Amino acid sequence: MTWRARSALFSIAAGVALCAAGFLLMLATPVTTAQADQPVEAAGDDSACLVCHTEDTPQQMTFADGSQISIAVDHAALLASVHGHSQPDGPLGCSSCHGEGIFPHDNPPAASIREYRVTQSNICIDCHEDQSGNLGDGVHYTALLMGNLRSATCVDCHGAHDVQGPERSAVDIAQTCGSCHQIVYDEFSQSVHGKALLAGDPNVPTCIDCHGVHGIQHPTTALFRNRSPQLCAGCHADEQLMAQYGITTNVFNSYLSDFHGTTVALFEQIAPDVASNKAVCYDCHGVHNIAPSDDNKSQVVRENLLATCQQCHPDATADFPDAWVGHFPPTFDSHPLLFVVDSFYTVLIPVVLSAFIFLVLTDIIRRVRRRISGSDKA
Amino acid sequence: MAESTRNTPPRAYRRFSPVQRFEHMVLLVSFTGLALTGLPQRYADQSWAQTLIALMGGIESIRIVHRILATILMAEAIFHGGVISYKLFVLGQRATMLPGIRDLRDAIHWVLFNLGLRREHPRLPRYNFGEKAEYLAVVWGTVIMIITGYMLWNPISTASILPGEVIPAARAAHSAEALLAVLSIVVWHMYNVHIRRFNRSMFTGKLSREAMEEEHAEELEAIERGETAPEHPPEVIARRKRLFWPYAIIMTTILVGGLILFITAEQTAITLTTLPRREAAFTTDIDPAIGRAEVGAALWQDLDCHSCHGLDAAGGDSPIGVSIVDRNLEFELFIRAVRRGPAEMPAYSTARASDQDIADLWAWFTSLGTIESASLPAVSGS
Repeated sequence: MTWRARSALFSIAAGVALCAAGFLLMLATPVTTAQADQPVEAAGDDSACLVCHTEDTPQQMTFADGSQISIAVDHAALLASVHGHSQPDGPLGCSSCHGEGIFPHDNPPAASIREYRVTQSNICIDCHEDQSGNLGDGVHYTALLMGNLRSATCVDCHGAHDVQGPERSAVDIAQTCGSCHQIVYDEFSQSVHGKALLAGDPNVPTCIDCHGVHGIQHPTTALFRNRSPQLCAGCHADEQLMAQYGITTNVFNSYLSDFHGTTVALFEQIAPDVASNKAVCYDCHGVHNIAPSDDNKSQVVRENLLATCQQCHPDATADFPDAWVGHFPPTFDSHPLLFVVDSFYTVLIPVVLSAFIFLVLTDIIRRVRRRISGSDKA
Repeated sequence: MAESTRNTPPRAYRRFSPVQRFEHMVLLVSFTGLALTGLPQRYADQSWAQTLIALMGGIESIRIVHRILATILMAEAIFHGGVISYKLFVLGQRATMLPGIRDLRDAIHWVLFNLGLRREHPRLPRYNFGEKAEYLAVVWGTVIMIITGYMLWNPISTASILPGEVIPAARAAHSAEALLAVLSIVVWHMYNVHIRRFNRSMFTGKLSREAMEEEHAEELEAIERGETAPEHPPEVIARRKRLFWPYAIIMTTILVGGLILFITAEQTAITLTTLPRREAAFTTDIDPAIGRAEVGAALWQDLDCHSCHGLDAAGGDSPIGVSIVDRNLEFELFIRAVRRGPAEMPAYSTARASDQDIADLWAWFTSLGTIESASLPAVSGS
């Protein structure tokens, strides 16, 4: 059925309803006027729209490219959504987002259903300025602006008529992201974080805890990389949180005192936008696939460590991973040579300096005494 | 002590040769530069160090400067070894810098004198105990810094011979020894040659009589007695030279070769390129003619390509799986994409997808042609 033919059929069917709708619109108008000074127009009565946009209408709208969308609207879901009865001024009406519907509607408002969704999402920004403030920095919005219509827009994550508040479960969030990023989700759900998340642990990170929400940074940028150790440290340097899992919080400090960490921290301080090639947490531990450090799947368990080092140091040999001191303070048992060197200089530096200072002081004493006795003579 | 045995004693005495002064300048510049670029690395968590590093152009820049200066210092160490050998073995001079028991006695004597427990100042030789201590410290420090520096510069070669634990130990030693050297210079050297008396002899080559009297009384006495170093007959010197030069050339060649090996063995710690990624070797030299379209069609799902890129290779429901067929993709680019896995795509090694598989997939794409209608995502209504 062509659009034109369907449109004609539409007109006949709708014509019958129009009389009733017109009547209802008249009833609705005074309500709207009464609330005209409200910032959000609570359009009170959607009954005119609901004449056609019933919950179970088989009617489809066809776009120029042939893609179709059902015109059915689950009005109950709308009323139950954040835009429904929970609004202080009453539920938002259809026209709040879709504009004043003049019947019959124009031809399909976009070339494809996807284009329609993306365009329609711009309307969200009208009210949700705060949330969209850093949208422009985010990868999804940037991709949309560059013409990639597949990139996520508001309704892809939040839903449309059934939009719910941001208080969603961590699992729900991960699954929402996973609906596009399936590979990442699959990998994550097998990781130490993902498994715990799916098991209901409230402390482990879900996607947005590391990536952010509206202003999601591309994780391959220098900035993201240079700041990533602090991101991990946000939880892993938190004594209280880590105590629940028996994980040392020394990981961050020991990383910072290592060659890699020192370098990355300096990049972060001095030139955060310049890429450093020194390892950050996820280069060794993995990203979405992080396994417990004693798991045989872990990249940092002793059997796998050489291969992990070889990612950056391809010529590394079997003993090379021992150059990494680890995340625990070195002891005589764990690192005898390092311990001896540290102890040696801990003694040598004060001894040598005290000796020099003592010699200098005796010389100063003599000079002062000579000056006093000299002036006495004079 | 104001005795005047001569009528007109010279006001200053030659102390350092131009070569010695040149060596000192090299040491002064390299040591200061090494300290300036090195110590902030030891204290990288402190804001003063971060400011200093930023002023000098960032951590990677100062690491390069540090290595250049280290190379200069090592070259100077080789040169110094040559000069000392020449003086000792050819000219037959005495090793006046070598410390002995006498220096310990001088030091104790000097302290007792300073404290008023002995009446007379010790009569000190050409190089007194303080100078010998400093020289010894420079030699010891340089040796430690060169050995540990080699390990830090070349950690992979080091770990292939020695246990890996040597590297963090070398780092600790390099860092602590640096602090010891700088603090010693600040306390001992600064006090003795800049604060107590501004001693310009290292720059002018000459030391005042007054300073000679206090710091090198024994040497001054010998000079004034007209004593000179024993001269060796020219034929003896000539014979020694004939022995010395081949030895010097061989040693210098070995040491300079070692130095070049030192600085070129590996670039692990100073690679400035982006993160090197481990990448399995692959070939882009695949003949597309060997591809079989019908096998490729099956592989598309067997290799799980369709999960992201859609059943018809025209792009999946998600934004990550781009369309393959309407991109004007070239075969070589396709091979690279499969092997390397751009963005979120996993890399397919030869173990997961053989060269034949790639050719088969390509043949299938070709058979599909350009599918315009399928280039838009098939999003179902909701």
